[in-house]
Amino acid sequence: MEIAPQINRARPGEDDVFSFWDRHNKAIYKRLESKHAWLDDARPQGDGEPADALEHQMTLNIGPQHPATHGVLRCVVKLDGEMIDKCVLDIGYLHRGIEKLAEAKTYQEYMPYTDRMDYLSPYNNNVAWCLAVEKLANIEVPERAQWIRMIGCELARLSSHMLWLGVGLMDAGAVSVFLWAFQGREEIYNIFDHFAGARFTVSHSRIGGVASDITPETLMLVQQFCDKYERVIHDWQKLLNRNRIWIDRNEGIGVISAEKALELGLTGPNLRGSGVEYDIRRFEPYLKYDEVDFTIPLRTEGDCLARYFIRLEEMLESIKIIRQCLERLPAGSIRTDDAKKAYPSKEEVYYSMEGMIHDFMYTSSGVTPPKGVWSYHAVESPKGELGFYLESDGTGHPYRARLNAPSFTNLQGLEHMMEGHPVADIVVLIGSIDPVMGEADK
Amino acid sequence: MPETLKFHFTPADPPRPDEANPHAKESTQVADVIDQLRDAFGEAIGEQVVYAGEHTVFVDKARLLEIAQHLKAELGFVYFVDCGGVDRFTDEDRFEVFYNLVNVADRKRLRLKVRVDEDDLHVPSVVSVWKAADWNEREVYDMMGLIFDGHPDLRRMYMPEDFDYFPQRKEFPLLGIPGSLPLPPQTPRGPLTMDPYAAAHGSKPVKSYEEPKSEEEE
Repeated sequence: MEIAPQINRARPGEDDVFSFWDRHNKAIYKRLESKHAWLDDARPQGDGEPADALEHQMTLNIGPQHPATHGVLRCVVKLDGEMIDKCVLDIGYLHRGIEKLAEAKTYQEYMPYTDRMDYLSPYNNNVAWCLAVEKLANIEVPERAQWIRMIGCELARLSSHMLWLGVGLMDAGAVSVFLWAFQGREEIYNIFDHFAGARFTVSHSRIGGVASDITPETLMLVQQFCDKYERVIHDWQKLLNRNRIWIDRNEGIGVISAEKALELGLTGPNLRGSGVEYDIRRFEPYLKYDEVDFTIPLRTEGDCLARYFIRLEEMLESIKIIRQCLERLPAGSIRTDDAKKAYPSKEEVYYSMEGMIHDFMYTSSGVTPPKGVWSYHAVESPKGELGFYLESDGTGHPYRARLNAPSFTNLQGLEHMMEGHPVADIVVLIGSIDPVMGEADK
Repeated sequence: MPETLKFHFTPADPPRPDEANPHAKESTQVADVIDQLRDAFGEAIGEQVVYAGEHTVFVDKARLLEIAQHLKAELGFVYFVDCGGVDRFTDEDRFEVFYNLVNVADRKRLRLKVRVDEDDLHVPSVVSVWKAADWNEREVYDMMGLIFDGHPDLRRMYMPEDFDYFPQRKEFPLLGIPGSLPLPPQTPRGPLTMDPYAAAHGSKPVKSYEEPKSEEEE
């Protein structure tokens, strides 16, 4: 392969500072000009003088380093006065190529990378990856591990929605909720610290089960958390559900009909906010979600306010699910007892020769699904459908690992949602879509 | 003479076709949809593969757009979930594109696959059928270099336009190609970083700080 020649450029700090990645920026601006926005169809055609370009029109770059864009999202918008005419999103500033990296890792080794995808709910990503590998390699998971995973997933959902609420409200100008929501997240971190050994990037799930058992002390912490936060979330609802400022900022903003939401491929709370009943926990129940009793909040308005209501109700449903998990948590093993499919327990590793060999073999080559097969498994992450498509070539490394990231699909919808709104609504819209760039950028 | 010991790594048992997968879902068993497709398009519908309770069907690249329209209009697959490319690294039909489609009302999930030869990297774009395919197809173009005919905006998704390679092809090195992508300088007035993994490529990494001048220099 040829090595690209070194490109001659002016040194930064001299005249050429703003023309970094020329071709890239030119392509974005060209797209902005040529784009046919949905707005164009609704606009009256023909008569009327064209607006004075110098007075009304302006191209504005928001991000990638703007704090309100929730990460490194770059919005290039064409403004007509205060209103957004057209919008082009540029992502990839956090692109690490984790799909390519997966091809050089064993299945178990890849897990810490999933923590860093949607870094607001790492537990969900771990479980999504493990379930995908387990489906590909046909590995059964013990009952107890499935219930533990469910507790972890729902706690992660609560933590993610809490951050969304706090940050979303701060975008709209209310700072105190941010602090309250972060108190809640802090308590969830403590729980994770107790049962996973890490606060943030937990990596607790394992292929064929989970890493460590949940202790009675942790169960008590989870119970206390549920009791406390059920009340706290109701308090938040009391503060916000009829809050004049919050409703004025959100009602009728970014309205997406059910048909349009499906067409744009929105997922998660954004899709359900438009009235489409699509939740993987019901659509394709995984773990034990078909055995617990919970409802899926649904709204038909399709605006930012509907998405807010859905997320808050989802938090209460999560607490309901966690309570049932605590009640029904069965005794038993936490990892499947097959050295070809999962890590042996630590007792085995420390006190038996075979255990140690198996541990070594599992670390070096790991689980080997059959050659030439592929499968897809999705879970409902807080952002929406998070799925892995895996292809195997019979070795311990995935031949192809494809990540279907909910933030990526949601951002695609955001590009259309923004058009026709004033600049001030951009932050509210980005907040209500709840993108995480770590996941969208892969 | 003692027998020499041989250590072999025994791979997992090959799957039996009747083996039940504990993670198989009802929604992915869509043999009836594939039969309906076969009735409507005949020869264009190729091999059907079942693994882990998931049905995958290979379709003819030339008639992909018709099949997509039929799936959306007649069979209710209105929700486009995902599509991606696979580099099989074979002489013939090197690339593969898969489409992950969902029928929300009837609870069905179908996977279409299209094989693409290296000599003809063109695939018909399905953006006209499902708008959601827009970014996904751009990503496949960015990563694999497949060209989607009829796509309204075929730019790179993640990499900047200034990048000349397709990083998810199997021949692309994991550590990247030095000099292929200018990155911001490490120090305010320093040169552009042409190789972020300089140490791995055997050259000296650029320092991310400016060393204070020694007394002699002053």
